[in-house]
Amino acid sequence: MIGELNIGGVFVPGLLVAALIAFCLTSVVGLSLRRLHLYRFVWHAGLFDVALYIVMLFVAALASANWNIAGVK
Amino acid sequence: MRKGSPNEPINVPYRQLTFALANAAAVLASLYIAFAFDLERPYWAMFTVFIVANPICGAVRSKAVYRFFGTFLGAAISLLLIPPLVDAPLLLCIAVSLWVGACVYLSLLDRTPRSYVFLLAGYTATLVGLAVVNTPDQIFDTAVSRVEEIFIGLICAAVAHSVIFPQSVTAQLNKKIQATLRSAGAWLSESLMSARRPADAHAQQQLAGVITDLHLLYTHVAFETSDVPRSRGVMRALQERLALLLPCYSGIQESVAALAASGKVPDSVMRPLEAASGWLRRAEMPETDCSFQYSNRVEVESDTISVENRRQNPLDWRGLLELSALTNLRKLTVAFTDAQVLAATLTNDRLKLPPHLQQEAAAAGRVPLHRDRGLALLSAFATAGATLLACLFWIEGSWPEGAVAAQFAAIGCSLAATLDDPSKLIRSAIIGILIALPFAALYEFAILPQIDGFVSLALVLSPAILLFSLMQSSERLGGAGLVLAIAFSGGLALQTTYRADFAAFVNSNSAEIVGLLVAIAMSLVFRTIDPAWNALRISSSGRKGVSQLAMGRKFDLRTWTIQMFDRLGLVTSRTAEMGRPQLASEEIDGLRDLRVGLNTATLRDVGGKFGSACCAALHGVLKNVSSAYSSGFGNDRAQAAIEEAIDLGITSLGTEAPSRTVTDGLAALIGLRLDLAPAMSRYAVPRIL
Repeated sequence: MIGELNIGGVFVPGLLVAALIAFCLTSVVGLSLRRLHLYRFVWHAGLFDVALYIVMLFVAALASANWNIAGVK
Repeated sequence: MRKGSPNEPINVPYRQLTFALANAAAVLASLYIAFAFDLERPYWAMFTVFIVANPICGAVRSKAVYRFFGTFLGAAISLLLIPPLVDAPLLLCIAVSLWVGACVYLSLLDRTPRSYVFLLAGYTATLVGLAVVNTPDQIFDTAVSRVEEIFIGLICAAVAHSVIFPQSVTAQLNKKIQATLRSAGAWLSESLMSARRPADAHAQQQLAGVITDLHLLYTHVAFETSDVPRSRGVMRALQERLALLLPCYSGIQESVAALAASGKVPDSVMRPLEAASGWLRRAEMPETDCSFQYSNRVEVESDTISVENRRQNPLDWRGLLELSALTNLRKLTVAFTDAQVLAATLTNDRLKLPPHLQQEAAAAGRVPLHRDRGLALLSAFATAGATLLACLFWIEGSWPEGAVAAQFAAIGCSLAATLDDPSKLIRSAIIGILIALPFAALYEFAILPQIDGFVSLALVLSPAILLFSLMQSSERLGGAGLVLAIAFSGGLALQTTYRADFAAFVNSNSAEIVGLLVAIAMSLVFRTIDPAWNALRISSSGRKGVSQLAMGRKFDLRTWTIQMFDRLGLVTSRTAEMGRPQLASEEIDGLRDLRVGLNTATLRDVGGKFGSACCAALHGVLKNVSSAYSSGFGNDRAQAAIEEAIDLGITSLGTEAPSRTVTDGLAALIGLRLDLAPAMSRYAVPRIL
């Protein structure tokens, strides 16, 4: 998954793309958890958010490796 | 708040220590990562952490986001501007200066923390662009590494401050709102029972400032950790209710004063006032149930209504004054109760809002604060001029470090652009640099040569980092700590390999100071504003707002009220600062303008509900108010015309069948008459009746 993406002649690391996708996923999950009032079960919201982001980054990285999203080499 | 929650408020010295620890961790982590990636200037990551550091976690995160976008935009612009213009230095300097000026202009129009995006977009272009004019082929790499270094600093700061002992903005907001409600309740409960006192001005100024503070503080909520409820509509409604307290209170004062001037204040007014005063003293924020608040208020209100019904002659002057006082009192108690309920729901999103507030809270529009295009343009010119002047020194004097001077001229002018007297801030920045330099020199030339590897570097740096972070955590030393930290990191200019060059150290740091001196000179010439002049300017834009509210086709009263109150806060803070509170009563009276505006809005609402004769009379009042506010006061004939129009309005509205709408309309007319008609003139009961 550590390939590079060629965007108009600029090489962008695949990890950066995965990180962006993970950020969007984390925001969506965080938003829905807040709407459902589920954060009252969370002791430390900041820590929880960071951990959630790392999980999402893992998911995004796995997905980009297995399914070759957006032509990642 | 739950027990044991990480956001639980803890005592202050402990708070400061945990903040300093988190900040030091972020600084060291950013340095480590920047070194590990072998970036060109790791110290950029280091001072980025200091710049975004704030005891409130949401504020760190919002500033990080704004700083990222600003840097990105600035770097992109320098990529666009530098390569085509690099062979024409003068054109290049003009282009960059204009860009910085334009960015300052845009940032001044937005008074929320978001304005930081534009500021950074402006001076990052100078930081990236002017640094590479001698090696233009490297501009892309330089731009990318600046963005990367800053990004690392931002991420480290955001993660550290949201994981290590975070303090959420809600705690701060809560504290502020509760303190405001408590002090407003206490103040109102005392002053309702007494004539105007000197303490009033102070309490009013506090209340006026708090609403804008809440507005600015609330912008951080969108960036908080995901557990904080986002409810901009509730906040907006709360601001508006708080803004209503002052005009309602002063409306009561005016009516009671007019009653006292023409005899004794009747019991029918004094009794409800006493009841309301007692109620305000006991008022507490609801913990669980909002309906309790409203049942409590009803006692006060029933008194008011009984007086409204008992009135014999609907058009007798004293009767009308009583009516106006009691209507304002009713509005005051409603606004205060609403404010309490809204404040409670703001932090506890499982509390249900009563139906009349629900719809309002769901509508989440943006409220623009007061903006001043003319002043923004002036600041933009001063900034562009300072940057260009420093550039000219650089080109004409063929001074190799001149680029640094131009950069610092741009930074100094941009960051101080919001102030009435920018030179003061820039002066203290120079002093900060002068204090930090020996410190940095000590490290650079005595300590750093002795060490080897990151661990020893971290150990050596941590006392300084901890000290600056501790300073930043206190309110009084915050600014000084930031300046010292930035000057220290910049002076140290840590890079992957140790390169100590005393000449370069002195050259670049003296260029910084020259740049800031240019910024001071330009600010002194173009941008030093007399606060009294500025206060007059703000209040005249408020008067224009009143005139538009009276006659404009569309109006949004909520937005208007908050904006007007924002102006009131700006004006009172300036007049109080100058120690010239009398100016407020002589030439500018933002509170009166606010009252007049609210009353005209009521009239506009009421006007549509009656027959054509009454509607025409009310329209005449609105037209007169609008023209008085757009052309200025002091004209006897105009005042007589207003008086006549208002009296006509009172007569025609008084003949309608009694109802809540009529009462509101009459109270609004009386309020207008007290504010706008010549002093001591008394409404005479018309003979037709």
